[in-house]
Amino acid sequence: MKTKPFFKIIALTGLAVTFITGCEQKKNEPASGEAAGPTPKKSEYTFALVAKSQSNPVFQAARVGAEDAAVELSKKLGVKITVLWRTPNEDDAQKQVENIEQLVLQGVDGISVSCSEAETLTPAIDKAVDQGVAVMCFDSDAPASKRFCYHGTDDIECGHIIMRELAAVLGPGKHVVAIPGGNQNARNIQNRIKGAVDEATNYPNISIRGVYYSKEVPQDAAAKIEEVQTANPDIDGWAMIGSWSLFTDALLKWEPGKVKIVAMDALPAELPYLTKGVVQKLYAQQTYRWGVRSVELLADKVILGKKPANVMDYSELPPVTKDDVQQYEQNWKKWLRQ
Amino acid sequence: MKTDQPILLNVESPQRLSAMTASRRLRFKETGLLGVLLVLGLLLSLFCGSLEVPNRDTGGVTTVNKFLRADNLDNLAKNTSFFAIMAVGATFVIITGGIDLSVGSMYCLAAVCGAMFLNYFGPRGPGAGASPFWVVPGAIVICLGTGTLCGLLNGLGVVFLRVHPFVITLGTMAIYRGVAFVMTKAQAYTHFPEQFTDGLIRHQVNWHGANLYPVPLAMMIGVTVLAGWYLKHAVTGRHIFAVGGNEQASLFSGLPVNRIKVKVYAFSGLTAGIAAMIMLGYYGSASSDAGKGYELDVIAAAVVGGASLVGGRGTALGALLGALIIQMINNGIVILNIDQNYSQIIIGAVIVLAVLLDRINSTLRENRMARTTLAAKESRQEVASKH
Repeated sequence: MKTKPFFKIIALTGLAVTFITGCEQKKNEPASGEAAGPTPKKSEYTFALVAKSQSNPVFQAARVGAEDAAVELSKKLGVKITVLWRTPNEDDAQKQVENIEQLVLQGVDGISVSCSEAETLTPAIDKAVDQGVAVMCFDSDAPASKRFCYHGTDDIECGHIIMRELAAVLGPGKHVVAIPGGNQNARNIQNRIKGAVDEATNYPNISIRGVYYSKEVPQDAAAKIEEVQTANPDIDGWAMIGSWSLFTDALLKWEPGKVKIVAMDALPAELPYLTKGVVQKLYAQQTYRWGVRSVELLADKVILGKKPANVMDYSELPPVTKDDVQQYEQNWKKWLRQ
Repeated sequence: MKTDQPILLNVESPQRLSAMTASRRLRFKETGLLGVLLVLGLLLSLFCGSLEVPNRDTGGVTTVNKFLRADNLDNLAKNTSFFAIMAVGATFVIITGGIDLSVGSMYCLAAVCGAMFLNYFGPRGPGAGASPFWVVPGAIVICLGTGTLCGLLNGLGVVFLRVHPFVITLGTMAIYRGVAFVMTKAQAYTHFPEQFTDGLIRHQVNWHGANLYPVPLAMMIGVTVLAGWYLKHAVTGRHIFAVGGNEQASLFSGLPVNRIKVKVYAFSGLTAGIAAMIMLGYYGSASSDAGKGYELDVIAAAVVGGASLVGGRGTALGALLGALIIQMINNGIVILNIDQNYSQIIIGAVIVLAVLLDRINSTLRENRMARTTLAAKESRQEVASKH
């Protein structure tokens, strides 16, 4: 069928006008993620937490923290804040991306994510921010993304602290130490290892035998540590920048004090290690606070239109010794709603 | 029909027969794998170096080989035991031409069920103080029972839904892990009765100053010997090979193919349950991420051990040796202080190499058998013509 040139011109002009108008409208929309002024108030807000893995208790504590903070802030601000929990069963950056995309489609107001792999998540975070969703990172950062802030441990400093404390516990004399790694792709693990290795250079009497990676599964991590220790009995210190192996009781059979251990976190399963003296000191990440601060920072940004005081909102890393075991046991009962 | 047992006709002189039997003993199916193991062990012993360890008996210091040390070999055996036991079960399934992708999840579910039970009756649980005389056997029954039940469901799914085992076990892999996840609410279960951990699975033996944990090793050997005997001497064992060699022919021969299939999947589940029980006792904890990705390690061990994915071929000893080779490589990477980033490449390459060597060995063995059969035939014809 032959179309008349006149109709063709009309149709093309119409399409062009529609296209240009559409572009103009898009151009006039405020750039998301730059909200400096107060955001228009709604009566209901939805935030989401996307942690690395469901089966890690530290993230369960973060979830409880976020839910508690949502209840408290709802009362304080006079709005209804709902927290959605969208965490893959296992460490999987691709699943996290899918979850973020789904949450954006669902119309959530803010997302807080702990990145299994920063590079994979950065485009998804940027896309969400471009679509008007406030995104922040907790626990494991994506620094090259458009996220408005990070809350969690200063991982490089954490590595320094662990190695410094291990050096103090080991004392003078020649020592061989090892570092257990977890997920090689996780930025927080990479940074902690970097911090620990850098710190070790301050102690010429300490040599690092190696960084030993394993799955972040307690039994696999414990098996790796046993294997390394058996193969290298001269190792007399472990700088546990990740303490998955201590979630089992397999290392409890180690002779207390023979091999010195300074480890991250103070989870319920780790506490008997302190009591028995197999582990000399734990450094507790503020996992419950991860959730609390996530909701607070998102509420500030989305509801009150306030920017965070610091883009890098670091949390404390208090030491836990034998004396604190009871208090931490109580804390965990609350954090895990037991 | 492909089967593992060649039909050999011996019409040779007694002296020749005796020599042939001896040489055949040396040429059994796992010779290639044993060769790989020996070479690996030799290389590790030569290149791993030595270290000084305190001698508790003399109070002095003894220089020992880093690899050939009792506690290192014990640790190697313990790490192998989980995979080897499950690989024996997986080999049964693979011999029938099937596949079981859910072993890791069955292991996880069995471990989680056992862990919840042990935690309940553990020192901090509501049932603390219960008699270990029934708590320990109860935990064993739960682990083994859960594994067997999961395997049974897989088998019934394969037989009655008439869906390829890959699909059924892919589905149950997710279902079983999901059930474990829901049951535990993502919590790790720990604090078990000592009678189950230190008193049984983690039972310690002091041998020349080294603390050894022989129970996982003993269980691995026990399962392998029993399974090997069953495959070779039990009627159902021979039927398993028949089904894998030619399912249609087995069906027309009147073999209960469906029943055999259900049995092998249930056995695969049982081995997952046994491995889970050892893991629970040794590590004293379980969570829903236990056994993550183990299915591939287990299938790799079975295949390295000589099991053919098209069915009809495989042995229990081969599965054990396959698992041992993979764990020895892992152990070697640690002992030799090789950058861990290269570990997967090395393991993958050695798996391919081991399978290749085994294939060469199988081809040579088949050629030898063909020659022997031909010689026997000729000799028989010669005898017949003389008469």
